[in-house]
Amino acid sequence: MGKTITEKILAKAAGRGEVSPGDYIEVGSRCPTPMGNAGSLRGGVEFCAEWKVGVFDPKLIRIIDGHLGATASHSAARSRMRARKWAKAVGIPQENIYSLGRSGIENMFSAERAWALPGEVYLQAVNGHSSGSGALGAFATTLSYGRGEYFMTGKTWMRVPRSIKIVVNGDLPAGTCARDVFEHFLSRIGPTGAGGGALEWTGPVINDLSMGERFSLCSLALFTGAWTAIINPDQKTLDYVRARTNENFEPQVSDPDAHYVKVFELDVSRLAPQVVPPPKRHLVKSIKELEGTAIDRGFIGSDAGSWIEHLRMAARILKGKKIHPRVVLNITPGTTNILRQALDEGLIGAFIDAECVVPIPNEGMEWGGNTPLSADEVCIASGQTNYPGRMGSEEAQIYLANPMTVAASCLEGQITDPRKYL
Amino acid sequence: MTENGKLGQMKPMRGNAWVFRGVLDVDWEICGYRTYQGLQEKGMYTAEEIGKYCMVNLDPDFPKKVRKGDFIVGEFMGFGHDHDHACLSILGAGVAAVLCDTSAPCFFRNSIERGLPVVELVGILDAVKQGDELEVDLENGRLSNISSGVELKFEPMPPFIIKKLAAGGMLPLLKAEVDAGRIPKRIK
Repeated sequence: MGKTITEKILAKAAGRGEVSPGDYIEVGSRCPTPMGNAGSLRGGVEFCAEWKVGVFDPKLIRIIDGHLGATASHSAARSRMRARKWAKAVGIPQENIYSLGRSGIENMFSAERAWALPGEVYLQAVNGHSSGSGALGAFATTLSYGRGEYFMTGKTWMRVPRSIKIVVNGDLPAGTCARDVFEHFLSRIGPTGAGGGALEWTGPVINDLSMGERFSLCSLALFTGAWTAIINPDQKTLDYVRARTNENFEPQVSDPDAHYVKVFELDVSRLAPQVVPPPKRHLVKSIKELEGTAIDRGFIGSDAGSWIEHLRMAARILKGKKIHPRVVLNITPGTTNILRQALDEGLIGAFIDAECVVPIPNEGMEWGGNTPLSADEVCIASGQTNYPGRMGSEEAQIYLANPMTVAASCLEGQITDPRKYL
Repeated sequence: MTENGKLGQMKPMRGNAWVFRGVLDVDWEICGYRTYQGLQEKGMYTAEEIGKYCMVNLDPDFPKKVRKGDFIVGEFMGFGHDHDHACLSILGAGVAAVLCDTSAPCFFRNSIERGLPVVELVGILDAVKQGDELEVDLENGRLSNISSGVELKFEPMPPFIIKKLAAGGMLPLLKAEVDAGRIPKRIK
């Protein structure tokens, strides 16, 4: 029987002829492993220095200052300093440290450099949305608490996931994007429907998505209970990778007779913009059910919603208008490259003219690290999740939506169907 | 951390069941993300402290009622982010193991690394009621409901995971490996 792309990559990484779901394997990776500031210095990483063990390969560890942004926080400053001291102690080369001004959200920063190579296992120190790099045809995940062992030995263990195939057919309608496809899928299968699995996104709609939209789609995988997501590399993927790295790689694709634990067929031709009201991440609604809900805050950012495509979507709606006077809309480009591109395309000017806040690239507002929400504030966000306290106060409310819906809602001060502005 | 004697062995565990249904997000139902951030800012992020907030958004008295060695029996455990404070909170509350229908992969991995056994057993919520006395044998893949007499089988954990759990998680095991010279000291 054939194998899925996930099984092929993991078999190769484990040095085995083949692997099957449920197998326990030990793997390494030749791809770089990004980490953040001092928040990453747990899970045993701190002891790399303390126990004089160092790391298995200092050239492969990259520190990306992507979580804090240019805040006034003294604890953020201490966090940076601790990470730099650790890096010096274990011999991380200076060029592997990406400070403010040359950084961004680590999942996006690494994806736009194609650190995850097609056909390889790719590991990030922390961050459940590392799955975004699955769009490069890599098995991408986070080490999380197990990172200390990996840093010291270059090896980690995995339980081979079940593969779940999703075939997305139809034409993506105006006012929707990859994220709406994800939310629609989540509403179909529920929060445990992909429990323990690896999502494999396929079909004509996926083929037509840009790379930024593919990264966004894959970054959301964990909200279905899945471990990660992957897309079989096509010409678009290979062109993207080859434009960014000189590394050799051997892409893998699923065999036509591969076994999937589930196969879902979705037709998205009549999909409406999707909104996830607070506080449950998995209870997805269509925009019609929530239109008119008053909001005070907006956020366009995070690895799910701050690629250049998302900034263009927002600018198309905001250009030449001003947001509602009660609303504060934070639009944070995901990386320095994206900020530069947005400037060149005139998007940042449109945001400033619309009276939005445009911080330097970082993940801050996604997790309440900058411009946090206060009690009783209601926010509409293109971020990742909406449990109480995610973006600040536990008494604030977070509605999740695509960047067009966020932009249209911020113009009107209430949840608004973006299609009227397109 | 472990109360089991020899490295690489785990005796069967006995305790009572605390049943939680539905989707249990690491950052809300199991232990609030803001609570975790707050403890960290105050320099109070320890198992003991964060254990006081385990499951409080579902049952405010859970940390006071649960006894050392009891089990959490959950439906879908560890939804959402890969944040491992949830695992530490469960351990800090004194819970010996998590038994569940399904667990999120990051929660599963983080729990093992933290030294918290997670057993996945489809249909467990039909076999276990709140307060039932259970015996769990990880090495042999056996769950006995002493209150009802029902026995369930699950896939035994592989030896390397048993070794990790018996050592109290990744860190103590890693330290032992370093001390034994099996991981090189690369820094002079």
